[in-house]
Amino acid sequence: MYKKVISPTSGTFSCIEKTVSGQNPIYIPLDPANTDYAEYLLWEAIDGNTIADAD
Amino acid sequence: MSLILDGTNGITNLTSINGGQLGGRRNLVMNGAMNVAQRTTSTAGLGATALERVLDRWGLITNTVTAGRVTMAQVADGPSGFANCLKLTTTTADTSIAAGEVMLIQHAFEGQDLQQIYKGVSGAKELTVSFYVKGNANATYTCELFDRDNGRTIGQAFAVTTAWNRIELTFPGDEDDGSSPFDDDNNVSLHIQIFLHGGSTFSGGTFVNNTWADQANNTRMAESHTSILDATSRTFFITGVQMETGATATAFEHRSYGEELALCQRYFQQWGGDTAYGFFGGVSSCTTTSTAFHPIICEVEMRANPTFAFVGAASVFDLRNDANGSHPLTGLAMDQSTRKVVSITLTRSNADLTVNVPSQLIGNNSTVGRLELRADI
Repeated sequence: MYKKVISPTSGTFSCIEKTVSGQNPIYIPLDPANTDYAEYLLWEAIDGNTIADAD
Repeated sequence: MSLILDGTNGITNLTSINGGQLGGRRNLVMNGAMNVAQRTTSTAGLGATALERVLDRWGLITNTVTAGRVTMAQVADGPSGFANCLKLTTTTADTSIAAGEVMLIQHAFEGQDLQQIYKGVSGAKELTVSFYVKGNANATYTCELFDRDNGRTIGQAFAVTTAWNRIELTFPGDEDDGSSPFDDDNNVSLHIQIFLHGGSTFSGGTFVNNTWADQANNTRMAESHTSILDATSRTFFITGVQMETGATATAFEHRSYGEELALCQRYFQQWGGDTAYGFFGGVSSCTTTSTAFHPIICEVEMRANPTFAFVGAASVFDLRNDANGSHPLTGLAMDQSTRKVVSITLTRSNADLTVNVPSQLIGNNSTVGRLELRADI
């Protein structure tokens, strides 16, 4: 569902790819003010939820 | 009507000022006239997802429990002086209301935009919310102000009839404990919420009209509340939403479409969908035979670093890279995001791009493809 994206420009973890079945992925910046990122942080805080490594 | 001059409210009932546009920038609500709908003008089957947006700055909130479904749309209807409104139409009724069900429409304010109301500190100001509503039949709903920073709520019931009526609701200032101001930042501090449906979790307690209190969910909906999901004939129309400081509901402050669009673009921007070979702006640069970078320059600075999304298959986007013509994409992703510029990566699995040649991102003979930046609250 959530996967790290490594920036081709900087070579660092720059954003998160979120995939939902049947929909295009969305790309979420690592900004606490972004509501998609806030939602990710809530998901990550649940035991057992771990973001996938980048390809 | 008498002219009133006092030290609290200033001059009231002076129609040449309060009834006109001389006192500009009174309305704290964005897209209150429901004229801006960048995403789409109608979405059906809503009710299964926690948050849905159709018109800019207005969200439909449900808790995904209800079986009821509605269509939310921008429609060309309104009282005199308004071209558009937000319309909800119930398409699937739900008369077996579980305790935790809720459905409401919501508008959000950033804390930094509300410092002037002194919320939570000495001298907290009254707020007046006004709007025009109608429905298919008489109904009673609840308008709430929800202080997200401090977990405080206040609500008032209002009536809907089959004719357009202006509702004017003045809420007292809330000094709270005297030291709980809204955060001075770009996060949400206050919501206007119109409760349209809810179970006992939201109505089981004793509703106290127009009194600020710490959040207690079971007192948030007024007594004798209508459910918009009680029948498939049910409709709800709203426009002309205004929130202003003070105890007087002044005339709705109309703003130009361009002004309102720019305000909304702080939260959402989109490109594309206009013509089959529409240009997506910016100049792309190919760094490998299969990868290009494309800058998206934001129309206005966004509230937060935005989320990137695209509509349509990757193949509806075309990178015109060299004399060989069309190069439909196989992937789009985000590289970096800031409030002013977003860099996206374009992928072409055929690996036939010419490196270091300025390129154009256009539609691939399709109006389906759209690029979106989202910084909603």
